[in-house]
Amino acid sequence: MFATMPVNFRLALRSLNRNRMRTLLTMLGIIIGVAAVLTMVALGTGARGSVEGEITSAGTNLVFVKAGNYTRGGESVGIVAGRGAATSLVPADAEAIVEQVDGVLAVSPGVAVRTFLTSGEARAFARVQGIAPAYAEMYSWNISPGRMFSNSDTSDAILGRALADQLFGAGSDPVGQVLSIRNHSFTVIGVTDGQADDHADVVFVPWATLQGVLGLGHIESITLAAEKAGEASRIQAEITNLLRLRHGISDGSAETQDGYLAAQSSVGGIPDDFTVETQAAQALTRGLYTPAAAFALANLPKLDEVTLDEMSDTLDKASNTMTALLASIAGVSLVVGGIGIMNIMLVSVTERTREIGLRMAAGARSADVALQFLVEAITLSLLGGLIGLVTGILCAQAIGWSLGWPAEVPLAAMALAIGIAGAVGLLFGSYPARRASLLDPIDALRTE
Amino acid sequence: MPVISLQNLKKSYALGDNTVHALRGVSLDIEEGEFVAITGPSGSGKSTMMHILGCLDRPTEGHYLLGGEDVSNLSRDALADIRNRQIGFVFQGFNLLPRTTAVENVEVPLLYSRPLLPAAERRQRALEALDSLGLSQRADHHPSQLSGGQQQRVAIARALVNKPSLILADEPTGNLDTKTSIEVMRLLQNLRESLGITIVLITHEPEIAAYGTRIIAVRDGEIVSDVANTPTPMEHVEEDQEQSEPALAAANA
Repeated sequence: MFATMPVNFRLALRSLNRNRMRTLLTMLGIIIGVAAVLTMVALGTGARGSVEGEITSAGTNLVFVKAGNYTRGGESVGIVAGRGAATSLVPADAEAIVEQVDGVLAVSPGVAVRTFLTSGEARAFARVQGIAPAYAEMYSWNISPGRMFSNSDTSDAILGRALADQLFGAGSDPVGQVLSIRNHSFTVIGVTDGQADDHADVVFVPWATLQGVLGLGHIESITLAAEKAGEASRIQAEITNLLRLRHGISDGSAETQDGYLAAQSSVGGIPDDFTVETQAAQALTRGLYTPAAAFALANLPKLDEVTLDEMSDTLDKASNTMTALLASIAGVSLVVGGIGIMNIMLVSVTERTREIGLRMAAGARSADVALQFLVEAITLSLLGGLIGLVTGILCAQAIGWSLGWPAEVPLAAMALAIGIAGAVGLLFGSYPARRASLLDPIDALRTE
Repeated sequence: MPVISLQNLKKSYALGDNTVHALRGVSLDIEEGEFVAITGPSGSGKSTMMHILGCLDRPTEGHYLLGGEDVSNLSRDALADIRNRQIGFVFQGFNLLPRTTAVENVEVPLLYSRPLLPAAERRQRALEALDSLGLSQRADHHPSQLSGGQQQRVAIARALVNKPSLILADEPTGNLDTKTSIEVMRLLQNLRESLGITIVLITHEPEIAAYGTRIIAVRDGEIVSDVANTPTPMEHVEEDQEQSEPALAAANA
């Protein structure tokens, strides 16, 4: 039966080629259906990727831990004043967070200093920030020219673009230049385009190296990235508990669900010696007097979670609506296309009744006849699928281009589209093929 | 052993409320190499007989032994295989596939042979069959580019391509003019003589039946006469051989 496939395929192509207009019109439903499927998948994938990319680059999944607690207290705001500066945050805290808090993608311990830096004749007063290599990913830096350092204890440095321009001239390539910071030499290995948090004016160096240069045993901050945007609040609460335990502030079991307010104060009247903030909270309270910020956030518990969840909810809804729309277009087109194929195959069987009779007289079994027409139907639908595939990719590119979305068409989606087209041909070609195969050879030969 | 043996063959159809008895008990033996002409008016049952002989239909009662094998009660697919291996059909309307070359038309029975021959061998055998009928020059022509006689010869090549033991010709000259009819009948006579193939011819024309070695008349579903015949002599046709195409020469080759 499979030995006759090439013959049947050739017969199918010839038969379809004979009525090109009819073939094309019949394929139209399949073409539109497959194109819709592909556009749907391409744009869906692209939109998701684009939104997730934006959330990540915006840093909304970031959580900050800072040493010290500058909360101002008093009866009027009902919270206990913080202790102010503290040196109790240590690298081991960062390691403990990675080990014990779920959903943390990356961690970067940090120290910073504002100081003079020199490079030959050039000198500047700037912020020097010690970070871990993962920091680059948290902020989705593009480093060009150069690269990110890969260890936390080398003497490499990454310059912000504005600082690089200030030191070495606009648009310069400072890679390989040596910076002197507090009598320690750092080699510039890259320039970051990061704009967030004044990154353009900062020189970034490995945190452990900077700790050594400054003679510090503690660290000043820990920057964390949550795996999923929207989990920042939970992570914030867990870190708060963990650090209280580690710093001997309380048993860490109480009142951790009260969000920002609880994080800022403490249980049993002992104030925290650290501050945990989420990016959303930080963004909202930037520039606010601390009690005011505390109040604002106390009235908006789990602000980041709400916003991010809502944001992703909205996006999901929009994306689902679009997917549903395209899916129904695709579904309807494929069914209509399939019925079109069935119709034209029935016409073809009627037109070729004599041919069927002759083939049967010549020894074709029912299955041979059925196969011939089934192969023709599937060839028709696969051809439509192929045209739809090309159309769909072009459509996705065009729509993606006009919306500024990346329109990726995964290989699996192409295979799926072709598979669907083939399945439609098989499904809707079966009945005409069966009709053909059950014809009585005598009647078929008599047909005019 | 006869090639064909019909034993009290009956065939009836339900037509509305009536039962039509197309064949009312036909018994008949046909030996290898016979050229049997079955004649009868329309409605006599000769077409039904032809369909049963061609394994296109099954008898209601009785037995049909083809090459010693009882094929009366075989399945549809088994009958298809028997048609493919043992029977070559020649139809009144030629039944060539349109917009398909002569050689591809001849190849059709080979597509359903089991096991399937490789494409190159199928082509080779089809070309040989065309060549034996003097049509090698026309192998790539479509039926519409061929004369009626040429088309019928392509159809005969198709009937022969699987080397069947029996050729069933159903009014093979019905669509042809007299001269071409004679040519086709002469061709069939030659096939019988050169290949020893058994031929069963269905016709209502006495002058066409006269080419057979045996003439069977059917009427009302029964055989009314069964006589040996001295076939129309070759001299009769040789008169206009010069004007005709070189079919005879080719068929003799």
